[in-house]
Amino acid sequence: MNTATQTWTTQPERSNMVALRIIVWVALHLGRTTARLLLHPICLYFLLFSIATRRASRAWLERVLERPVTWVDQFRHYHTFASTILDRVFLLNDRFDLFDLEVHGMEAMTEVCEARTGCFLVGAHFGSFEVTRAVGRMQPGLEVSLLMYEVNAPRIGAIIRAINPALGNKIIPLGALDSMLRVRERLDAGEFVGMLADRRLGDEESVTIPFFGVPAKFPAGPFRLAALLRRPIVLMFGIHRGGNRYEVHYERIAVDGDLTRLAMRYAQRLEHHARSAPYNWFNFHDFWQ
Amino acid sequence: MSTATALTDHETKLAALIIEALNLEMAPQEIDPGAPLYREGLGLDSIDILEIALVISKTYGVQLKADDTDNVRIFGSLRSLNDHVQQHRAK
Repeated sequence: MNTATQTWTTQPERSNMVALRIIVWVALHLGRTTARLLLHPICLYFLLFSIATRRASRAWLERVLERPVTWVDQFRHYHTFASTILDRVFLLNDRFDLFDLEVHGMEAMTEVCEARTGCFLVGAHFGSFEVTRAVGRMQPGLEVSLLMYEVNAPRIGAIIRAINPALGNKIIPLGALDSMLRVRERLDAGEFVGMLADRRLGDEESVTIPFFGVPAKFPAGPFRLAALLRRPIVLMFGIHRGGNRYEVHYERIAVDGDLTRLAMRYAQRLEHHARSAPYNWFNFHDFWQ
Repeated sequence: MSTATALTDHETKLAALIIEALNLEMAPQEIDPGAPLYREGLGLDSIDILEIALVISKTYGVQLKADDTDNVRIFGSLRSLNDHVQQHRAK
């Protein structure tokens, strides 16, 4: 574990991809109920054999729960992660009938949607990004493009396209010269651009913000972009509350030209929700590294 | 100063705009007109490219689009960017 980047782009991403493939196959062929039963042995397997991930999960839970962490806690952490991956398959297909969704702050979405100014939707590797995007899509006329490192996880893009081809062109790959020109064009067209703002890639510029009372490095890019384009920002958190229950939060934050202030507002809200749902934290590496 | 070729007046103006927009600590003459702008060379990232596109649109009325297959060439150097701007400028 040399750098944060290496940790998440290589090791866990690879083992998670194997789990993801198995889960997607089962979900598509056997349905949600059967697939959920299979999550138990799958989680147990990964709990036993993914040592680095297990260590990171323990460190995180100890920090947040402030008590000794047991195997049961860790199993729950893995199971929450696996459940959200599984549900992603159904959410991509708009199977809202399968879920019990509690949505907070939809008026923030309606407001920016009606203004047609384009908007940044900012989330984290926390809970289900897919549920927030899926609920957003229920808003008539709302288009969400997702900014992501397809270089790192090209197969995730491929899987999304396999499940719902209509969503394939809704990915804006990062890492191209004109990635950000594309972002601006989508915003100009009144679309929403989603991004996860809690992980850095490589030697990407960072902004250091207190998180759970300890300085942590967040990527500067998303906040630089938001500060530059000055579009409305809606934070989104999709929390898995067990079973088929999800709690979706949309929160509009004030926008100005100061990237550090934007990052702080984001980090504060992320901390708030991560405290309320620690098992939804899916950064399986040392976040404070 | 290590640049082999001197900047033309238009290139100097564009270089100054870029330097100001990105808060780079250098003089226009220090930019090698033939060196890449993105990544190696000037070391800019795609948000910097967006900032450049915004300032070019404001100053010259030239819109740089994401779907232009020539983008790699256009942003290939200060010189090629300037040539593109001069060819398409509306103001």
